[in-house]
Amino acid sequence: MTYYAQLVLNGVIAGSIYALFAVGLTMVYGVFRFINFAHGELIAWGAYLVLLLINPPFSVPLYLAVLPALLVTMAIGVGQDRYVYQPLIHGNRITLLIASIGVSYLLRNTIRLIWGSDLMTYGIRPVRGIQFAGLSITPTQILMIGAAVFFLGALYFLLTRTILGKSLRAVADNMELAAIMGINMKKVSLTVWILASLFAGAGGFLLALDTNLEPMMGMTNMIKAFAAVLLGGAGNVWGALVGGLFIGIAENVGVAFFSPGYKDFISFALIFLLLILRPKGIFGVLAGVR
Amino acid sequence: MDYLLHILIVALIYGIFAISLNLELGYTGLYNFGHVAFFGIGAYTSALLGLSGLPVSLSMALGMAAAGVAGALLAIPALRLTGDFFGIATLVFAEMVRLFFVNERWLTKGPMGLPGIPRPSWIGEGIAGLPMFLLFCILLTLLVALTSRRLATSPFGRALKVVREDEYVAQALGKNVLSLKTRAIIFGSVLAGLAGCLWAHYISYISPSDFTLNETILVLLCVVLGGKGTNWGPVLGAFIIIFFQEALRFLPIPADFGRLVAPLQGMVYGFVLILIMLKRPEGIVSEYRGLRQC
Repeated sequence: MTYYAQLVLNGVIAGSIYALFAVGLTMVYGVFRFINFAHGELIAWGAYLVLLLINPPFSVPLYLAVLPALLVTMAIGVGQDRYVYQPLIHGNRITLLIASIGVSYLLRNTIRLIWGSDLMTYGIRPVRGIQFAGLSITPTQILMIGAAVFFLGALYFLLTRTILGKSLRAVADNMELAAIMGINMKKVSLTVWILASLFAGAGGFLLALDTNLEPMMGMTNMIKAFAAVLLGGAGNVWGALVGGLFIGIAENVGVAFFSPGYKDFISFALIFLLLILRPKGIFGVLAGVR
Repeated sequence: MDYLLHILIVALIYGIFAISLNLELGYTGLYNFGHVAFFGIGAYTSALLGLSGLPVSLSMALGMAAAGVAGALLAIPALRLTGDFFGIATLVFAEMVRLFFVNERWLTKGPMGLPGIPRPSWIGEGIAGLPMFLLFCILLTLLVALTSRRLATSPFGRALKVVREDEYVAQALGKNVLSLKTRAIIFGSVLAGLAGCLWAHYISYISPSDFTLNETILVLLCVVLGGKGTNWGPVLGAFIIIFFQEALRFLPIPADFGRLVAPLQGMVYGFVLILIMLKRPEGIVSEYRGLRQC
């Protein structure tokens, strides 16, 4: 029994990070109505930039490296919008989609160019997990959950308690109507990209802290985040959160029943089934609570 | 000289692959981002059958059939989705197929791959068989390209283009949109399977790492660079990309920097993809040049 409880706990830890990715992805979809394939690369860049800063020539302590790394990630996020997506936003959908695949490929190969394709870590000594009731959790994992709660709580505050959040929700609801009502679209899209890249970068860093870094980490996690987005219904922020947790748990509990080689297969198969059975997401009840 | 033959063969195989994607992406407007799955299914089926002693031509035919069946199986559920979501579903499908190749070792030998896939007996193995294989590829490419051209100008092809431009118009004109799209996908998958078979029997070694997202992006680049929705654009795109790729090998790069070539090449591809979308989304050969195609 403890074994399964541990798997669920691992699932919640992974899921809280997937939720961070998924919330960003779904916000971009909610406002711009397109799936940003390059979202995964923001995850990877967040993680790799920290790696850059803690190694020579910078050799910054880990906790100081996070902030500048996240700032650069945000710059990448805002930059890809400004120079690639904005000029194309009113054109054909396929053009935008292919452009985002191009951005993703460019960013991923830049990582391979700078850091190579091998697995890397931050080189932090593994710490013994804290035991309680037969379950084990490391301080890093507590930090992961804590950060996810902090970021998502801040997002909740922003969306429900501020004017900016209100205009964000309005734009996601109906872009043209929102523009007619005098909502500053530039400000809204800037906020969306900043939030999406902040969440992606922070999540990428936390994930790398717990596991490792590799150039494909962005793509794999983007697909998982997308599964979470679908579970929650595309464009639905709170649905994405629940979806992320669900994917994390499903994937980790699934290991008990399938060979570990199929771990990723589970979330992929889930996406496929969801797309086909419930394209609007399984949390139809929550659809009104954007 | 043999090297040139090799490049030409690879370019032609990618040409067929690009044409097959163009049928879906260019003519029908289906964003298939998992096209490599059918390339892989064709390659694996044909390779496994060929290795088990079946005549190569028969195993190739069966490989194409397998890809077509897989296409139909994907199309029936996935076509209920539109636009971006179809794209993601196909992308995920391709990853699932790849994971299947990696994990089902009893069948595919997993990451070790399948070595020693035979060529058709009348072509001959090794370098001696190159000219014949090239001829075989040229014939097949011509056949595929002409079929695709015939298709594009037929009532079926025109109906596909209407579906691409506006599904509601197609429906209002009494066209069965779902059936048209399904047929386009099956046709595209069979041709992708053909390209996969050729690849497997030419290279004579396949492994799951040959059928990743990178190959999808490469063939996507071939199609959009050459010009989607045109007959010869995809082939032209494939030639440009493959020749560019091979030309890089001749650059005098110091051995220390050898490992940087692949990422740099990827960066160039990504950048070109963005640039085409921003500056010339219709590609090198434009579909609407003089409207002759319609």
